[in-house]
This record gives sequence, structure tokens and C-alpha cells, in this order.
Amino acid sequence: METIEVVWTFFKIGIISFGGGWSIVGIIKNAVVPLWIDETDFRSLIAVAQSTPGPIALNTATMVGWYHGGFITAILATLSVVAFPILMITLTTILANRVVLNQRNLNAALRTGSLAMMLMTLWVLRPASADPLLLFFAIATFYIGAFTKINSLWAIIGASFINALLGPTIRSLWHG
Amino acid sequence: MEIKPNPPTPWKLFGVFASITTITLGGGYVIVPIIGNHLEKRHWMGEEEYYDIFARAQVYPGPMALSTSMLVGIRLCGFWGAVAAICGVILPPLLVIILVSQLLTTYGSLPVIKRFLEGAGSVVPGIVAAMVWKNGKRLVKDSVGRSRLIRLIELAVLTMLLVLFPSYSLPILLVGIATLYLLEGLWKPSK
Repeated sequence: METIEVVWTFFKIGIISFGGGWSIVGIIKNAVVPLWIDETDFRSLIAVAQSTPGPIALNTATMVGWYHGGFITAILATLSVVAFPILMITLTTILANRVVLNQRNLNAALRTGSLAMMLMTLWVLRPASADPLLLFFAIATFYIGAFTKINSLWAIIGASFINALLGPTIRSLWHG
Repeated sequence: MEIKPNPPTPWKLFGVFASITTITLGGGYVIVPIIGNHLEKRHWMGEEEYYDIFARAQVYPGPMALSTSMLVGIRLCGFWGAVAAICGVILPPLLVIILVSQLLTTYGSLPVIKRFLEGAGSVVPGIVAAMVWKNGKRLVKDSVGRSRLIRLIELAVLTMLLVLFPSYSLPILLVGIATLYLLEGLWKPSK
């Protein structure tokens, strides 16, 4: 029965997955942590989801499904998160001109809405550990993402390798 | 440049979408222009029409790559075009993720892999903060005077609601976005 819960949760997430990627991550986190996956695993998982091909909301759904239930749950979670968007596009294509929305106003509303979702994501994913090296990675990534044209993928790759290979050395230097 | 209509078959469409999704890393803003280039190069769709479709795609929930390619698929091949687009965008990442997850379950307990994942996870707040910074700057730059103030207040209220009531994100966002839409209509004519 838990598979049904996963499907229903990701279907609901699909309804409000506005604003391209990162805005929805906070909502996914609130829905799945700590019920199906713990905080630390979720963070690494979305970093991996970002560094593999495919939309992040989709990849996160696949991974959470995989960790929670295995192969079938992974596929079902993925399909659930896109079910509502696909339904909406199909419906509006069939109804064509019967639904008239002011696109300019809707775009403005969605932009404010998705920025609010992003801020919420930032709040729930604020740095969790006081480890200076990990904090440094976060700050350096913000700098790279906000002020340079470098793809933030390089930050993920860089931080992963530095922490994996040099992490213990750097920390022992730091502590004395 | 005038592009001659030269409709692809759904299979070809699937092939193009699948190969783009497989080799492109990064979010919707990276992948959308790449899809546009491919469509133009193959004389399937001109740039102007593509960006019209992209603008329409942004009002739908779900990944931008999905809604954009689905609308392109419908426009080029009707129903089977939509199916081709959905499969092309969803299948490759699904397979890659399942493979990666399998590897992580197998090797995830090794200390070096643990540190690798810890490092990857640590950059996440930085990525989100950078996204907030860029989008926030755009919101402030694109609105002037009263509209800027109103939008910032709307943003603050909606963010507070989302942070304070995490279990009610769905109703908050549905009502919130509908309200924002109506408010945009209210104050725009009187500026």
C-alpha cells in the first residue's frame, strides 16, 4: 500500500511543479523527508539528480521511488509526477480556444509563485552542518552560480571529488 | 529565413528528443535552446514558432523540457508526436537514474563514496541560493514603482505561508497563484 502513497504524493507534487526544477525541490523534501528518506541522503540524492541527464523533479521522483520501493516504485513515482502536467497539456490542446487566460498576467503570477517556492526550498535546504569545508563548498557554489557563467554542475563535481579525496587531509590541517 | 514544412515521423521525433535528453546536463533553461536548434537544423520548425510554443509551455506545471517537447510533438505529429515527446524526455533519465541508484546502493557504504556524496550534497544550498538570486534580480528589474513593491509583498506573503505551513503547499500554491493572477489583472490597467 505504500506504493500507492508514493504515487499519490508525487501526483500531488506534479500539480504544483511550476517554475522549472529547483522551485519544486523544497516541496518534494517536505513530502518525503523523513518519512521515506533521511535528510542527508536526500541532499546527496538531489545533487546526483542534478548531475545526471533529465529534469530534476523527474530524477528526484525516480530516485526516491527507487530507494523506497525498488524498480516498479521508481517507474510509478516518475509517471505520477508527470501525470498531471501531461493531462493539462492534453486537455488544453483538446479544448484549444475555449479556455482563455491572459498569458502575460499568468506568467507574472507564476514567476512570483515559483520564486516563493524557490525561497521556501532554500529555507528547508539551508546548510545543515557546521563543517567549515562543507559550508565553504555551499558559499563557493553560490558565488559561481550567481556571479559567473560557469555551469553549477562543475561545483557539484568539484565539491564531490575534493571532499572524497582530500576531505580528511583538509580537515586534519584545519583542526591542528 | 523561411522554413519549409517538413514534418518528421514520430519515431524520428522520439530519436531526437531522446538523444538530446541523454546528453544534456542541467535544467530546462539549458535544454530548451538545444531542442530549438535541432528542430531548426532539421527544418522541422522555425525559431520563431518554437519560442512561441516555449512561451506557452511555461504556463504548465512540470519540467519545462517536458511541456515544451510535448507541445512541439503535438504540433508536428499530433497524438503520436506527443507520445514520442513524452517517451523521449522521460525514458533516458529514468534508465540512467535507475542505473546510478543501483550503483549507489551497491557502493554507497564505502567511506570514499560517502564523502563524495556528502560533498555533492553540500553544494545544494549554494545552487538554490544562486537561483533565488538570479530570479529575484529579474523580478526586481522587470517591475517598476508600485508593481515592484506589490510583487515583493506578494512574494514575502506567499513564501511565509509556504515556510510556515509545509503540509499545505498544494492548496497554498493553487489559491496563491490564482490570487496573484487576479491581482496582476487588477492593478496593471491603472498604472
